[in-house]
Amino acid sequence: MRKTQLFIPAFLFSIFLSAQKDNGHFSGSFESFTQYYHKDDKINAIVPPDKIGSNNFLKLDYNYKQFTVGVQFEAYLPAIQGYPYVLNEGKLVNKYFKYNANNFSVQVGDFYEQFGSGLVFRAWENRQIGINNALEGANVHVTPLPFLNLKAVYGRQRKVFEYAKSNVRGLDAEIDFSKTGKTIPKTRVAAGFSYVSRYQEYTGPITDFPATVNASSTRLDIGGQVASVSLEYVHKASDPHDANNFDNTSGKAFLTNLTVAKNNFGGILTFRTLENMDFRSERESIQSIGLMNFIPAITRQHDYLTTNIYVYNAQSMGEIGGQLDLFFNAPKETALGGKYGSKFSLNFSHYRGHREMNELFSFGDDEFFRDLNLEWKKKWSEKFSTILLYQHVLYNRLVIEGEPFPDVRTHTVVLNALLKYAKKKAFRFELQHLATKQDRGNWAAALTEFSFAPKWTFYLSDLYNYDVTDTHYATIGGSYTKGGTRFGLSYGRQRAGLFCVGGVCRFVPAATGITATLTTTF
Amino acid sequence: MKKICPVVFCLIFSIVSFAQNELPDIKVKSLSGEEFRFNSLGNMSDTVLIVSLWATWCVPCIQELEAISEQYEKRQKETPFKLIAVSIDDSRTTNRVRPFVKGKGWPFDIYLDVNSDLKRALNVNDVPHVLVIKNGKIVYQHNGYVAGNEEELFEILKTL
Repeated sequence: MRKTQLFIPAFLFSIFLSAQKDNGHFSGSFESFTQYYHKDDKINAIVPPDKIGSNNFLKLDYNYKQFTVGVQFEAYLPAIQGYPYVLNEGKLVNKYFKYNANNFSVQVGDFYEQFGSGLVFRAWENRQIGINNALEGANVHVTPLPFLNLKAVYGRQRKVFEYAKSNVRGLDAEIDFSKTGKTIPKTRVAAGFSYVSRYQEYTGPITDFPATVNASSTRLDIGGQVASVSLEYVHKASDPHDANNFDNTSGKAFLTNLTVAKNNFGGILTFRTLENMDFRSERESIQSIGLMNFIPAITRQHDYLTTNIYVYNAQSMGEIGGQLDLFFNAPKETALGGKYGSKFSLNFSHYRGHREMNELFSFGDDEFFRDLNLEWKKKWSEKFSTILLYQHVLYNRLVIEGEPFPDVRTHTVVLNALLKYAKKKAFRFELQHLATKQDRGNWAAALTEFSFAPKWTFYLSDLYNYDVTDTHYATIGGSYTKGGTRFGLSYGRQRAGLFCVGGVCRFVPAATGITATLTTTF
Repeated sequence: MKKICPVVFCLIFSIVSFAQNELPDIKVKSLSGEEFRFNSLGNMSDTVLIVSLWATWCVPCIQELEAISEQYEKRQKETPFKLIAVSIDDSRTTNRVRPFVKGKGWPFDIYLDVNSDLKRALNVNDVPHVLVIKNGKIVYQHNGYVAGNEEELFEILKTL
């Protein structure tokens, strides 16, 4: 702690002096999420002994010509309820130095990186979920030829406030064939290859235990004016560890996307199959700790209270499936679009297990998840517009939650209406209903929001399980924004369940209390 | 720990006067996969550039871009400006960006920031986040969107 206290002022003072001379500039951000909990027997809310949770992040960067240095200080005083780790302290966790020239860059310290789609390697941060997989080491990018991009990484992965006891090294090469000739063709063809290796010392009794695990990925992207195709295949060597129940078979993944986009129409078809792809920096890690690669649920990420109750979590041990998206814009002054235009979208995703182990392209009988949703967005006048959404979900509780209960089938309807009654004043409301015969039965929800741009918003919402539990999850709140600074305050109940951001989920417990958030960019 | 909090707060306030206005040298990708440097995209002399950081899963982001899109032609006549929308969708949804944008009929240039490198370099906490850039300097920024924020944005454009 003492070291940190001395370090920050010293660091800033040096920055201050340089900034004064107009040499370079600096910037940063601060984010605070604080909750005060109270007892609430109706929802079995867990109240921590201290009744408070507060996650705080301060990031500072200083840039001088081609050089950048930065730090991130995190304080959990203590960590909020449901955060993946129990923490009650602050620490200067990330520090980095970066040199960035035209065809060359090097970063030393803590860095984030992604190879291809991230199926083989991704180091990233997501504060809401509590993921920070930055590597501490070196990251070099070189473009030796105009059509060739090379990346090399070496380091150890951040593990909460410590580092994983393993070494990670990786290489990524990407060739852009459209830049190899003298003229630039209309179709872009690029190929990539990645290699990632992790070494963790093994002192157990098995003689040929794989202390080093190698993984590789090969990918191809073909992009035209209207259509594009991408393919990626990943192979991971035998890697018995806790999270895959010490399965010593190799891991495989195949991912492909087909995209069509023209004028007012767009469509995409994604197919992915995975087998034994859980990849960790330490063999002992479970849940969201120590992830080396990124395996998101490829499903639509919903935004409404009722459409976020039954969400999928990708099954890295084995799943096969895909997603289809269609988008259509009916422009203004057309028969379908009317005077102000109209927008339609359809989304369908479906995942199931394999028939047998080691049959990567087989479809088994076990259905994991299905989501079909249709959305219609219509502007009725200068002032009034609506969004109407219908969703059908099939949710396999045994596979997704590990609970031995029957599959949940839901039908949900959402109406979201916006009335912009003055130039900077608007009123918005949502009406929602989820119908199901399983689990906790039917839910209804309503939300109203008043906004006075650009500074103030106030809202009141209620999510009501009127069937099995007869419970209201009501929240009242508001926010104030000025430029890059935003302050929000709310009071209400938080539903226990999966909380998902960017396709990765964590379980949040039921809680009741006050939540204050402050974010600023400077 | 008690000691460090005031120190941190003092630092924040002492920093505010040195707000970020330079554009970072970070690579973003176009929809066809080609890499561009953000600072060179933003260096347009005289024409005002609006940069919107958004994502396909962010409802207020889409509302904001729709609202600007609806008034695009009308406002261009008053004050010419260019808008680039940088999606922070990660590989879960990044492939949806191109068909999504086509299905919306937006008149903007779209770029991808797949592992949030630009978002981090700009010190943006959440999307939507809008930056107004003139002569390569950030002159205004705003976090979040509520209906009517676009009016504020157009008013600012007129003053530049």
